[in-house]
Amino acid sequence: MNEKIKKNSFLTNQIQVSLKINAKNRSLTLDSRTSLLDALREHLELNGTKKGCDHGQCGACTVIMNGKRQLSCLTLAATCEGANVLTIEGLAKKDKMHPMQGAFVKHDGFQCGYCTPGQICSAVALLQEAKDGDASYVTADVRNISKELKLSEEEIRERLSGNICRCGAYNNIVQAFKEVHSADDEMPTWKFATKMQMKSAKRK
Amino acid sequence: MKTKNATGVGNAIDRVEGHLKVTGEATYASEFKVENKAYGQGINSTIAKGEIIGIDTSEAEKLKGVLKIITYKNAEKLKTFDKERPVLATDSIAPVLQSNKVHYYGEYVGFVVAETFEQAQYAASLVKLKYKEDATARFILGQNKDKAYNPSEESDHKRGNLKKGFSEADAIIEQTYNTPIEHQHPMELHATISSWNNGKVLVYASQQIVEDAVISISGTFQIPKKDVRVVAKYVGGGFGSKLNVERHLIMAVMASKMVGRPVQATVTRSQMFTNTGLRQSNIQVVKLGAKKTGELTGLLHETLAYTSTTQEFQEPCGSMSKMMYNVANAAVSERLVPLNLQQPFSMRAPGEATGSFALECAMDELAWKLKIDPVQFRIKNDTQEDLSQEKPFSSRLLVECLTIGADEFGWNKRQQKPRANKKGNWLIGYGVSAAARAAPFNETHAKVLLNLTNDTVTATLQMDATDIGTGSYTILAQTVSDCFNVPLEQVVVELGDSDFPITPGSGGSWGAASYCNGAKSACDNAIAGLKKNRNVPKDEDVSIAELLKMNQITSYESQSLAKPDSEFEKHSIFSFGANFTEVWVDKDTAMYKIKRMVNVGSAGKILNPKTAYGQVIGGLTMGAGMVIAEQTKVEPNFGNFITRSFADYHVPVNLDMANVDVIFLPEEDKIANQMGIKGIGELGITSVAASIANAIFNATGKRMRDLPITPEKLLMAEVEDGVTV
Repeated sequence: MNEKIKKNSFLTNQIQVSLKINAKNRSLTLDSRTSLLDALREHLELNGTKKGCDHGQCGACTVIMNGKRQLSCLTLAATCEGANVLTIEGLAKKDKMHPMQGAFVKHDGFQCGYCTPGQICSAVALLQEAKDGDASYVTADVRNISKELKLSEEEIRERLSGNICRCGAYNNIVQAFKEVHSADDEMPTWKFATKMQMKSAKRK
Repeated sequence: MKTKNATGVGNAIDRVEGHLKVTGEATYASEFKVENKAYGQGINSTIAKGEIIGIDTSEAEKLKGVLKIITYKNAEKLKTFDKERPVLATDSIAPVLQSNKVHYYGEYVGFVVAETFEQAQYAASLVKLKYKEDATARFILGQNKDKAYNPSEESDHKRGNLKKGFSEADAIIEQTYNTPIEHQHPMELHATISSWNNGKVLVYASQQIVEDAVISISGTFQIPKKDVRVVAKYVGGGFGSKLNVERHLIMAVMASKMVGRPVQATVTRSQMFTNTGLRQSNIQVVKLGAKKTGELTGLLHETLAYTSTTQEFQEPCGSMSKMMYNVANAAVSERLVPLNLQQPFSMRAPGEATGSFALECAMDELAWKLKIDPVQFRIKNDTQEDLSQEKPFSSRLLVECLTIGADEFGWNKRQQKPRANKKGNWLIGYGVSAAARAAPFNETHAKVLLNLTNDTVTATLQMDATDIGTGSYTILAQTVSDCFNVPLEQVVVELGDSDFPITPGSGGSWGAASYCNGAKSACDNAIAGLKKNRNVPKDEDVSIAELLKMNQITSYESQSLAKPDSEFEKHSIFSFGANFTEVWVDKDTAMYKIKRMVNVGSAGKILNPKTAYGQVIGGLTMGAGMVIAEQTKVEPNFGNFITRSFADYHVPVNLDMANVDVIFLPEEDKIANQMGIKGIGELGITSVAASIANAIFNATGKRMRDLPITPEKLLMAEVEDGVTV
């Protein structure tokens, strides 16, 4: 169902765009310069998609558009007519989180949480890229690449390198991705020194 | 029988706010629903020193949607500095647009308010400013050493007789270490929605210390503190850049007053280079002397740094050198040069992150010269007394950190000789460094509200504390759960609002210790009060639900204050750690990889190993950033930063990071505070850079004393004298 188109008398170069966001049809009247990111945040109250640089350099604004990950800050809303956009708010099915969301919580794949929606959208789209057999910078032989890839740790790290996490949760993000991608359920690598270790290390 | 219901401190539970962060529901500064807001955009100067002699706003004003263009000509009058170059503190006033003077390239010279973000951005680009440039501007630290001054008496520490100390040494090294300007760059852009409502101010902002933001805003506008409310529910990273109020926030409040509407202002990533703090560049000289047997006899650490021409900030690079080793003769000093660059301020572990690079590289250099293993060299010079303060350490498990770390890392496989470990085209090196970071504990207030419904108690904790990714929500929920012995689901933690009791906020590694002791104090106070009312003996085990019932009440409120005691004052209180790094350097291209790291931390009680691990790997990542890439370059003629985006200021990405093993020592430091907590967030970055640089030396035989260590620098560097290629 289309929403009522808002009249914005102060808008410059008004454009109208209709698209599907999180399985809902949306019609927007926008300044022609509005990015998809600002359309989501400032016009639709979908603040889950984050503004980290507005230059396509940090990945915080990543959404899934027509099945592929897309930097919403580098996407003019005007070019999204008819597009199908999935944001972090649309990933959970009713109250059930997407497995990637659950894995990020379990493996503490974030700290401040600001890059997180972008990381998760990237990670979810990457699952599909691996299924499709897309190549990456560290792919050994791009002429010979099969579908249903099982990504190595190096591949995961490379393919998630477009999403900066300044808090430095990378190792936990990799673990979260592994759990969903390959059911590899290893936990972060912290431990406490044992009593024995403490005793034998004691200052003489 | 006492049943354990709590998911108390020490457990590796998931973050209590985790589901909000992974579903996009956590509300950051610019995401609060505020009706009728307008958008503001700052305008930056394009000269480094001089005066504005003309402003043409005509073209911008013609644009549809533009509501106001504010410059020094029509700005609200604010409180300005009453002396030359006052010290910048976390609660300092932040005057802006008060005169036509320009002090550095990128300083705010105007602010445009418009109906939409797009209109504000475009209008800002159309405001034309004419300047009269002053050619006496200075930008380069190394070229202005003669302008250095001593910022305060505390900048000098001297003990023993340094001349005598060096004369007793069998080996001496003296080297200069350079660290560049760095930027904090939290992922959330600084942002605010600010409203001025009949003299009352409401600010949604990304701030680490809510109370100091209130003080800063009230001081700048000269309005009572009670009329300012600051809300920061979620802060998208800080790393020091959000400790103080930056000027976009002041401009947004001012603009709101002028246009009569709430104003949202988001600092652009490019403006995050010029308007939201940075770590200044340092030139550090370290001279160390030791006997053949390894005892240090003398230590000199001199730091030259810059401050801006308007305010003063000194990063205490010598803080670790003062207290780290058992050396009787030492001199540590810091000097500042005022430059026409942006005002520096704290960035994660200010002083330790940079100072430890110089000290711990110098230790490695001297160990190599003495042909002593660098782990043993550090152990040899351990001390249980802080010689700079003449106080015992509350606890110092550095030897344990080094010994256990060496064991876990496989340090015994290290070749002492550089370039001796090769694999194909790779030169493999191992490096070590020791770390120490002060573990402060500051006065903290907290309030707890108890509510009994159908036999179930809900405990709500309120504090103006912030969670900047550090895990405050989680460790506080665990603390409350522990105190009342109720499940986590029955605990609500509300933070980041100046309406709540005052805490020191997040920064300086005091958050966890201060917050949790504050919360515990409020909870203990509630239990004590409820027991006292019914004459229940203090140590009798009664559940909190039972206590409420005995008092025939369904709700109860308790406030309390936790603060350091005399034992705290009598001791020197630090967290300690050790870093071990393995690097692989391509012998032809000098491209290198950090292969793995082992970090051992002794940081008192670990409240939640999961969130503590996050703090440590975050520190290691930013420490790695210091080495592999991070630097802000100053254009030498105009004083602007050449690096103005993530495309040219590189921070570590996922592929840059290594596998990391983190080991916590089981420790509770009850002298530090009742709960035995010490900070870990800044310990994690301290001396990481040195361990990588030392590993690079072990791999290549090249001493890299200028950060960052980019491959082209490493390729061009000569091997040290005495290294066989």
